[in-house]
Amino acid sequence: MTNKYYEFFCPVKVIAGKAALEHIPYELTGLAAKRPMIVTDKGVRAAGLLDPVIAACEESGLEIVSIYDDVPPDSSTSVVKDIAGVYRKEKCDSIIAVGGGSAIDTGKAVNILVSEGGDNIAKYSGAGVLKHPLKPFFVVPTTAGTGSEVTSVAVITDEKKGVKLPFTSSFLLPNAAIIDPRMTLTLPPHITAATAMDALTHATEAFTCMAKNPLSDAYATAAIKKVSQSLLAVMDNPKDSDGRLELAQASTMAGIAFSNSMVGLVHSLGHATGAICHLPHGLCMSLYLPYVLEFNLESIREPLGELLLHLEGPEVYSATPASRRAEVSISAIRKLRDALYKRCELPRTLKETGKVLENQLESIAKLALDDGSIMFNPREVSHEDAMAVLRRAWA
Amino acid sequence: MMVKRLQPMMSHARRSYVELMFQVMGRALQAISEVDETTRNETRELPEGFLFEMQVMPNGPKLIVEHTGNGKLLFHGDEAPRPVDLSIQFKHIAHAFLVLSFQEKTSVAFANDRMLVDGDVSYAVRMTRVLNRLESFILPKLIAERAVKEYPATIKLPEKLISAARIYLKVATQFVETVRA
Repeated sequence: MTNKYYEFFCPVKVIAGKAALEHIPYELTGLAAKRPMIVTDKGVRAAGLLDPVIAACEESGLEIVSIYDDVPPDSSTSVVKDIAGVYRKEKCDSIIAVGGGSAIDTGKAVNILVSEGGDNIAKYSGAGVLKHPLKPFFVVPTTAGTGSEVTSVAVITDEKKGVKLPFTSSFLLPNAAIIDPRMTLTLPPHITAATAMDALTHATEAFTCMAKNPLSDAYATAAIKKVSQSLLAVMDNPKDSDGRLELAQASTMAGIAFSNSMVGLVHSLGHATGAICHLPHGLCMSLYLPYVLEFNLESIREPLGELLLHLEGPEVYSATPASRRAEVSISAIRKLRDALYKRCELPRTLKETGKVLENQLESIAKLALDDGSIMFNPREVSHEDAMAVLRRAWA
Repeated sequence: MMVKRLQPMMSHARRSYVELMFQVMGRALQAISEVDETTRNETRELPEGFLFEMQVMPNGPKLIVEHTGNGKLLFHGDEAPRPVDLSIQFKHIAHAFLVLSFQEKTSVAFANDRMLVDGDVSYAVRMTRVLNRLESFILPKLIAERAVKEYPATIKLPEKLISAARIYLKVATQFVETVRA
């Protein structure tokens, strides 16, 4: 009998495609919510991305009761407390998070406070603390990469203690994720590239790390195919709304994949680099992906070889000998990174970022070894291994 | 019919095995922190007085160790002197048995959602490395390879034999002292 076992869970209703935003009023009404609050950041508002959301609700007679648009890039416990205060004062009954990872995580944390009560979000930190469903919560992502709209995790900084508080519960999952191509149409090229590489990394690690399973594999491969087919087309024609939708769906699918099968060393190194050098998460993923795949190669040769079909299509896959497919998959990812460098100078090495010093590599390696995601990497990683990957990624 | 009759005995035997393994592992964790510098380098990063627990949910067997400073661990049996800082919990006695009988690697058990971490994940990662190192020393290589993700190439046979002997000696001494007490 096989020892294989897995769990898969994703109860988020995905509402995707043309005029998806216009479904928000109906969906909210279905959950008996009449007084939604929008949680977002200044950048989203300045880009005019709230307008179609508000218009969609108002046309159906649903009033947005309050808009909080001051979520910082690294959301904090005091921001969460402030927003919960506004929510209660305005007697809201639901939350719509519009934005990237920070706005979505903030929305999740606010939902904990307004549902469970109190002002101290730190009290709910950890895994499995929440025991009851929360208020209706919708997410409208404005980037195509994090996958936060389908994950049961939020990270909020406790600025007094200087630590990041993780929150994990299936109750944090939104009731609905609204994927509308209008929301990512104006994303600048650099962010489009970095966030798409984030999605590609989520899917690739989900497919090659230890907790891979048949259901997450299906989402991961579909996500990889969409990124491979649409990313460069969108970079060349940013107003390609079909391509934008493909990338947004890829991000959501990769999010479903990795939240059910976890990620590995690319994320361990990426989290450490983000914390020490303050580089954006998507960029870190892009930087490390090929080098970590090379490090893991002998443990993941078979699944990585399978990915060639989704990265390069059936012609290249069938023309490549099975024994060479894993290496050619890595080459395909390198080729994609080169193409992105050509189009928007997305760095391919730590040196090219201009924000990492060579003497920081030791600290990055040390921090990466304590990152939770390293548990799911298919190979054991020592300090020397981490340093070897970092040196290869340096220049 | 026979299987049904044997079921309670098998459950009891499984539980006893897990209890015994926790007793051995707890003492061995204390011992390895006394004999192995690499382990101490890992545990030194834990706060002094840090309490680590491994437990079977909901109220099953458990082991508790404390970092008493300078990388040294102290086995507390199954009773913590105060609330623990980090708990790694098996969801069921059957899952603990799978890991402790080396049918499933610790890392695979994590990936299979057999275990939960309550506390700082970075410390859980560190303690898992310590447990892996312990298993690499005290188990024959063939069995250790079934318990850890990758058997460390840096552990050579003479070091393994000497360290294992010292750990087992300390564990045996502790057992004798416990019986005498």
